[in-house]
Amino acid sequence: MTFWWLAIKDLQIVVRDKKAFLTLIMMPLLLIAILGAAFGDVMKQDDDVTIEKFTLGIANLDKGQLSTVLTDEVFTKALSKQIKVKYYDENGLREKIKDHTLSVGIIIPANFTASMMSGSESKVKLLTVPDPGIKATIVQTVIEQFSNSISIEVFATQLAQPVNAGNQTSVFQPKPSSDEITQPLIKETTINAKTKPVESFQYYAAAMGVMFLLMTVVQGVTTMILEKEQAVYNRLLLTKLTFTQYLTGKMIGLIIISLAQAFLIILGTKLLFGVDWGPSLSGIALMTVGFVFNACGLGILAGSFIKTEKAFSVAGMFATQIMAAVGGSMVPLYLFPDWVISITKFLPNGLALQTYLDLMSGATFSEILPAIAGSVGLGLMFFAIGLIRLSLERRGRYA
Amino acid sequence: MNMLTVGELRKSFGVIAAVNGVSFAVEKGESFGLLGPNGAGKSTIINMITGLFPPTSGAVHMKDIDVIKNTKQAQKLIGVVPQEIALYQSMSARENLKFWGRMYDLSGSTLEKSVDEVLEIIGLTERAKDKVETFSGGMKRRVNIGAAILHRPELLIMDEPTVGIDPQSRNHILETVKRLNSEGMTIIYTSHYMEEVEYLCERIGIIDHGELIALGTLHELRETIGDHSKIVLSLDNKTSNHEIIPQTLTGHFLEKDIQLNDNQLIIFHKDPQFILSDLIQSVTSTGTKVTSVDIIEPNLESVFLHLTGRSLRD
Ligand SMILES: Nc1ncnc2c1ncn2[C@@H]1O[C@H](COP(=O)(O)OP(=O)(O)O)[C@@H](O)[C@H]1O
Ligand SMILES: [Mg+2]
Repeated sequence: MTFWWLAIKDLQIVVRDKKAFLTLIMMPLLLIAILGAAFGDVMKQDDDVTIEKFTLGIANLDKGQLSTVLTDEVFTKALSKQIKVKYYDENGLREKIKDHTLSVGIIIPANFTASMMSGSESKVKLLTVPDPGIKATIVQTVIEQFSNSISIEVFATQLAQPVNAGNQTSVFQPKPSSDEITQPLIKETTINAKTKPVESFQYYAAAMGVMFLLMTVVQGVTTMILEKEQAVYNRLLLTKLTFTQYLTGKMIGLIIISLAQAFLIILGTKLLFGVDWGPSLSGIALMTVGFVFNACGLGILAGSFIKTEKAFSVAGMFATQIMAAVGGSMVPLYLFPDWVISITKFLPNGLALQTYLDLMSGATFSEILPAIAGSVGLGLMFFAIGLIRLSLERRGRYA
Repeated sequence: MNMLTVGELRKSFGVIAAVNGVSFAVEKGESFGLLGPNGAGKSTIINMITGLFPPTSGAVHMKDIDVIKNTKQAQKLIGVVPQEIALYQSMSARENLKFWGRMYDLSGSTLEKSVDEVLEIIGLTERAKDKVETFSGGMKRRVNIGAAILHRPELLIMDEPTVGIDPQSRNHILETVKRLNSEGMTIIYTSHYMEEVEYLCERIGIIDHGELIALGTLHELRETIGDHSKIVLSLDNKTSNHEIIPQTLTGHFLEKDIQLNDNQLIIFHKDPQFILSDLIQSVTSTGTKVTSVDIIEPNLESVFLHLTGRSLRD
């Protein structure tokens, strides 16, 4: 268990370093406060600022009062800058979505008003092309805001590869048939009925939190590389400690520091600014572990390419800034085109931020499990490549 | 059985041959010195012996363990004092020692006891709670040594453990090493200070440009230069007939043992005390006054000078 003592030693050193300690704990809270206040307004107006106007198809089967309010008052009037509303019947809407002349549509069920009035659940169906981007999110958010007791079924129309040209007409089918077992055509996702939109301050708490965690990891990996150039590292290798134990110890130390930081950021923003981090504390904790693991892996991979601590800390600073910017910590993710958002999922911080936001919107533990698994998986891959490189280099250097 | 056997050790860094075919053995209980100027290859030899990195070619055996193949197993037998201070500056002396003890799997009361003993040995019991960063160079060096002996290694390998410290700390360190050796610990000690190696080591290897240019006891090494002391007479420069002095001495000394440089007369002889008064008498009889006399006993410095034509420290 020698690696534990290595981790404990690292923690001791960090706790004693007053500057490091302040940077780790105080700075995030301070910056979240400043930026949250400064950017809060931008966040509220972001639909005006950026998102192109798009067409929403509506099939309203209800004809009751509430659905009219939703379609006419909310979508048509209040959101006239962003959304152009077109009405269809149910089949017409499905056709439009299917052949991509329309990317987002909703079907309001016949009993919508009645169910809402009686307080029972009503399901609005959200139909989209496979890759609807931010438009679907906006529509979904609006409906959720309209009534947070509505559960939405999202039908993402998946265009499967036609087996042959003659088969094309059966690409979209409203009801599952036996065909789909071998060739799934529709993916159905149900979103929690109590889904809440993420507010600007929440967003910044998560975004800044992720950025600071990223900085902590970069700092940690920099120290590791620094230590490698110092005599203590050689001395460590002369003891019973193996290289693997060394890395394990370092990782554990870093994970504990990051968890403490995440915990303090969450607690601090909750107490000071009333930020709601969602109900799943274990989800946040595990995602943080996954994120740190992922980011450490990336750091070690980068470290295996960069020889000196100085070069690494410069490169690390740039990389942190770029990753933070692209990953949504500086500019709201909503402002990015969709394909960027998808790509940033491959950045440790991008994935972490999106998952934190999901958690804030009420995602359950099992819903974010893929993200955690993805983080750990990516981290493992980075680690493996980094380690292979390091051991090759070690052999090469001394052979 | 030898504690350590090193055979035809070589190490190249690119085109530089840092160590070039070095072989020697160290017996159990011995204190062995590696003497050589900066850049001679001492640290590179030590790093290969301790298994920090493998040699380009050659063999290292710790007892009968192949260090290159079974590095971790061999490392259990040794304590290493690296050339640089390898400690955590923001931790106290005691915390450092505890940490390094744990890295050698010590724990509980064994660890506590060992740390207390080591603090006593390195003379820092009083300052145990102070952070290493507040220590003087000498005190840091002492903790650096302490961290290597916590697990009571059979072989203690020290790489220039006294570089850049005050005389008091140096004496303390030399005494400590001597004591550990007398208690049965085998010692390998590298230095570019010949006094230290002369004082501590029973056998000495002299390293230059990656090669072992001499190996033996201090006595054996002195023999290689004939074991002659150097007598230096400074002559009064008011008298100018110095040239005649060597002639008057040829009856008593061999011609090659007499040198005259301006107003310095240098004589090489095995037993200077024995002939000194006669020598001075002979010189004064020529009308030249002797203003001072220096007797330089043969030391490793002169051995090195003899072997390489250079001084140890330049
Ligand atoms: N990692 C290295 N890379 C390249 N050259 C090295 C390296 N380590 C040592 N050397 C060279 O090998 C020679 C011996 O160095 P070293 O063993 O440190 O000498 P010493 O310890 O006797 O002062 C020197 O010329 C030094 O520059
Ligand atoms: Mg050296």
